[in-house]
Amino acid sequence: MRLTAEEEAMLSGVRGPAVQRAMDGLVQLGRAFGAAEMVPIGYAHVHAGMALYLHDVELMEELADLGARMAVPASVNIANADTVNWAQTGAPEKLARLQQRAATAQHRLGASCSFTCTPYWAGHWPTWNTHMTSIESTVTIFCNSVLGARSNRDGFFAVYAAIAGRYPKFGYHLDENRRGTHRVHVSASPCVTSDWSALGYFVGRQVGSGVPVFEGPAFSRRPSLDDLDALGAALATSGGVALFIVPGVTPPFTTVADAFGGTLPPVTIDVGEREISQIYAELCNAPDEQFDLVHLGCPHASFEEMKLYAEMLADKKIARGVELWITTSRAVRTMASEAGIVSVLEASGAKIISDTCPISCHFARTVSPDPALEVSPPRLRSVVLDSAKQAKYVRDMIQCATLFTGTSEAVETALSGRFVPRRIHAVS
Amino acid sequence: MANSEAREVFGRGIVRGVAQGEVLVCKEAISFLGDLDIRSGRIVGNLPSAQGKSVKGRVLVFPATIGSAGAWRFLYQLFKHGAAPAALVTREPPDPSVVQGAILAGIPIICEVAEPIEQLLRDGDLVEVDGGRGVLLVAASAAPGRGSRA
Repeated sequence: MRLTAEEEAMLSGVRGPAVQRAMDGLVQLGRAFGAAEMVPIGYAHVHAGMALYLHDVELMEELADLGARMAVPASVNIANADTVNWAQTGAPEKLARLQQRAATAQHRLGASCSFTCTPYWAGHWPTWNTHMTSIESTVTIFCNSVLGARSNRDGFFAVYAAIAGRYPKFGYHLDENRRGTHRVHVSASPCVTSDWSALGYFVGRQVGSGVPVFEGPAFSRRPSLDDLDALGAALATSGGVALFIVPGVTPPFTTVADAFGGTLPPVTIDVGEREISQIYAELCNAPDEQFDLVHLGCPHASFEEMKLYAEMLADKKIARGVELWITTSRAVRTMASEAGIVSVLEASGAKIISDTCPISCHFARTVSPDPALEVSPPRLRSVVLDSAKQAKYVRDMIQCATLFTGTSEAVETALSGRFVPRRIHAVS
Repeated sequence: MANSEAREVFGRGIVRGVAQGEVLVCKEAISFLGDLDIRSGRIVGNLPSAQGKSVKGRVLVFPATIGSAGAWRFLYQLFKHGAAPAALVTREPPDPSVVQGAILAGIPIICEVAEPIEQLLRDGDLVEVDGGRGVLLVAASAAPGRGSRA
């Protein structure tokens, strides 16, 4: 692997032990994947330091103690507790206090401590050809596919890349990997955001870690940013997808042929209404339709989604005994609060939760917190949700049933106390 | 391991470090997110060839990793719970998240070993992995396609 004089200096420790440790890890990673060189990055979405895992917050504190500082603009991924309103979620205070320590460490590191899986709604908007890194696969796929930035699906090393300001040039940083592998024709008509989530979930399973290229009547109108966000999050969940291409939307591809480097392969996947319905059916497995929680905001809601929820919940009350969680970043929450949206939502009885979400909080059973934190996950019968991503991880991590439906149907569920399954919307 | 009794088999070094341990062969691809209990190192996923066995302190020999961006965390948690494998030997290069977790946890990895590892190695064999050099040190009696063993 070719290193510049400056990178060699980083590796030898001239820039301090933190940069040395970061660069050493990145060089090993680059060699493992045949990277010829490092590339300077312009943005990083990094690990939070998670209070539900042993010695994980401490890992970020150690880096701060070592003198590490973020060399590029950095946002911070979702955390394990609402660091302000933890009591609303039933989280133990000790857990929330430990999570607050991660925020302190992130501030010392110089990160913008966003604690969210949708930093783009909080203003982190990398542009075309920006090399970047992300620990969150939803951020990777959104930035690659909607913004035209260049990111792999990273793990902890997003932190090292942010500290060194470099990343080994392999994977989706190279043009040769940023082209279609599967031509996907969508004859279904996704009308609402949850349909885009179902579409992504179906296609992700078919293409694995490939690059799906979408076409068909569903794309005759440009999908909204929220739709593209839902599509990507689901593709990255059921498959290992890091990049999808919607010609005319994904920079720099203008046609389907473009996305395949000039030659048009045959359609290999066709998605009709039947396939979309099949995903809704598959992600509804609570036999008696009994639920303990209705959840909106996976990935963390945008300001537009907060407005939509407020329209649906204005002057209404959720049913007695029903818990409705709306999860969004603290930045979007602040904007929504200033716009009067949060008070409308809270007046309905909904809880606005930031920094975390059902699968990321103390509900998860696959975590390994320090026993001293006294974390004990509640038993849930099922969760009503409007996101295929959340559904998959509720099953894997909270280990309870799910009821997947549309956003407005989920709101009706919360208002009535009875599960409202997805209605097929007419194409407008 | 005494050199007189051992021979070197070459592979590709992915994560540096030297570790010794008894072999645990798993014939199926492993997802570090879900297939292993992070507190004990026990294999809880649907991996029939090794289900119920513990990876703790073992040189885990397996064909490939199943990609998940969260895999690194589970390797690191195995390490923090004292339940991590001593080293990983894979047929195919592991996915980037596994490599990141292994570097963080100091678990050496080699892949693309020159001989068919699942035939070369049996559970309980004592081996040494040198991830920096890409070398697997095995007992001299171990040979590709060896016959039944006492």
